[in-house]
Amino acid sequence: MLKQLIRWNREWEDEILAVLADPALARKVAPGYRRHAAQRLAKLSTIERRQLREFSVAYRGSKGALAMVKLILLFSLMGLALHLASPAKFGMIESLVLSNLLGLSTAFGLTSVWFNYRRLPRPGVRSFLIITGLASLGALFGAGLVAVVHGKPLVDMMEEVGRTAALAGFGAGIVYTTIHNIVAGWRNREYELLTTQLQLQTQQERQAREMTESRLRMLQAQIEPHFLFNTLGAVQQLAQTECPRAADLTANLITFLRASLGEMRNQQVTLASEFQLVKAYLQVMKTRLASRLEFTLTLPEDLANVRVPGMLLLTLVENSIKHGIEPSLRGGCIDVRVTHRDASVRIDVCDDGVGMSAAPAAGVGLANVRERLRLVYAGLAAYTVTALEPHGVIATLIIPLSSDGETT
Amino acid sequence: MKTNVLIAEDEPLMRERLLSMLQTCWPQAHVVAVAENGNDAWDSFLEHEPQVAFLDIRMPGMSGLEVAERIGNRAHVVFVTAYDQYAVSAFEAGAVDYLLKPVETSRLEKAIVRLQDKLSGPPAALQSILSQLKAAFPMPCAEKLTWIKATVGKQIKLIDVSAVLYFQSDTKYTRVVLPDYEAFIRTPIKDLLGGLDQSQFWQIHRSTVVNVKAIAAAQRIDAERMEVVVKDHPTRLPVSRAFTHLFRE
Repeated sequence: MLKQLIRWNREWEDEILAVLADPALARKVAPGYRRHAAQRLAKLSTIERRQLREFSVAYRGSKGALAMVKLILLFSLMGLALHLASPAKFGMIESLVLSNLLGLSTAFGLTSVWFNYRRLPRPGVRSFLIITGLASLGALFGAGLVAVVHGKPLVDMMEEVGRTAALAGFGAGIVYTTIHNIVAGWRNREYELLTTQLQLQTQQERQAREMTESRLRMLQAQIEPHFLFNTLGAVQQLAQTECPRAADLTANLITFLRASLGEMRNQQVTLASEFQLVKAYLQVMKTRLASRLEFTLTLPEDLANVRVPGMLLLTLVENSIKHGIEPSLRGGCIDVRVTHRDASVRIDVCDDGVGMSAAPAAGVGLANVRERLRLVYAGLAAYTVTALEPHGVIATLIIPLSSDGETT
Repeated sequence: MKTNVLIAEDEPLMRERLLSMLQTCWPQAHVVAVAENGNDAWDSFLEHEPQVAFLDIRMPGMSGLEVAERIGNRAHVVFVTAYDQYAVSAFEAGAVDYLLKPVETSRLEKAIVRLQDKLSGPPAALQSILSQLKAAFPMPCAEKLTWIKATVGKQIKLIDVSAVLYFQSDTKYTRVVLPDYEAFIRTPIKDLLGGLDQSQFWQIHRSTVVNVKAIAAAQRIDAERMEVVVKDHPTRLPVSRAFTHLFRE
């Protein structure tokens, strides 16, 4: 019989813990009071469920029983002390029962406030009035009951103890309301704190994920395996036939790789160093495409130190190669030019390749350029891509120049 | 016996490399043509009808896949491509061989052994693997021509492509023939092909593309030769052996 009871209790506990861990399980509980209880648990918020679960796990099975025994022991000791203090007024059994009854009900009350703080009325005048009112009524009802039992007229009894009972009720009300308010208030604050913490955490996680994703996209957009393997193939061939040209090509490839793989991609760089990178890239492509590619680079000296986001100009030039020159039968010419325009710098990347009609819709590189411009200049920069007649494309980037002659 | 081979690769250094590697690894191979874009590759194929074609996939003009589609089962095709994650899985499932750039000698030797085995039989049909590969290589589709600008005397005429009876190579120019007049354009036939709708214009000879609507009949001359009778026009256009299959019932 006892074993059965323990097993039943354990099963229910397991079920409750399972529902607290995954509220969706509540629907699978067998109908009846247990389903009802499970559904109530499932309605709690995530934080409440977590708190309740931690408590339930900590005081599970024998541990809960042990805590109960400790409480009973404590209250019995208090009852004993009460009995010893005034043996005449409180009998041994009477005081033991009374102290345990009072103590345990207070403990249960506190526990329920502890876990039901979200559903209790907010601390305030109303809850105070309700509690004191109920306590006073209880005391008066008790006094009335005593009067009836002892055969005294109700009015006499009220005259005798009414004021005391009402005061006692009032006092008990104050004590309970205070405790209730403190516990519920504190728990609610804790709850709110946990909520903001959780929100902050998810937000940080999302931001971190977004950043990684955009970095990854950038990596994918910049170094294409295609570029790498084709260039290495060219190096291999030159190494066998024309060593000095192989050395030149390797040097250009190193310049390109160092800049693309390094931290520079996310930083601000001077136009001069970005031009070096673009030149290395175009020279690699020129070695590979031979007469199919011509290029010119123009950077006025007074704009050499203007700072721009790294790799941005390279992306435009790569697009020209990929969508303009490489698909073209006769190849073409790429012209990169920087000019000063009022309070801004204008960068043009112009090619006379196949043009836009044959190019697939806006690639990763293009979206990347727009995103980076938005992040760095928040709408103050402009980026346009226009088709040229009879064929070709011009990509134009206009970046604001700050007062000290450098963009920020 | 020599095996005739075509190489198509757009980058000069890679082209040189594949050529020299082939000459070392396969002395029996006779490289009849080296093309630097897809259009030239197809034109060279028609000119030389090689048994084997090494085709780079990404090339200006027609892609290697489009060239292979036109070649059909008339040659053994080996694709050449730089790293392409998606394509490799398609290749591994299919009957067609492929080389990854930069090409390694050992891998090329393996491909040659396979080719030598296959040479005795007919080349594999590539339809299914080509459609798979086309999905793996999203390549810009050449815009179809609707108008052609041509100089006729002192005028520049805008010619509606669908009104053209046929195009024919004429030394440096391409002759554009219409029912009532003809014009000359500089674009060679091989570079026109990509812009013409293949269901509307049939290539019947290395130097001739004819509008299907203008074909009155195809006439056999002997066991080998055939010619196309053009509607409302005195001309008869020769059909080369590579294209007689178009008129087979």
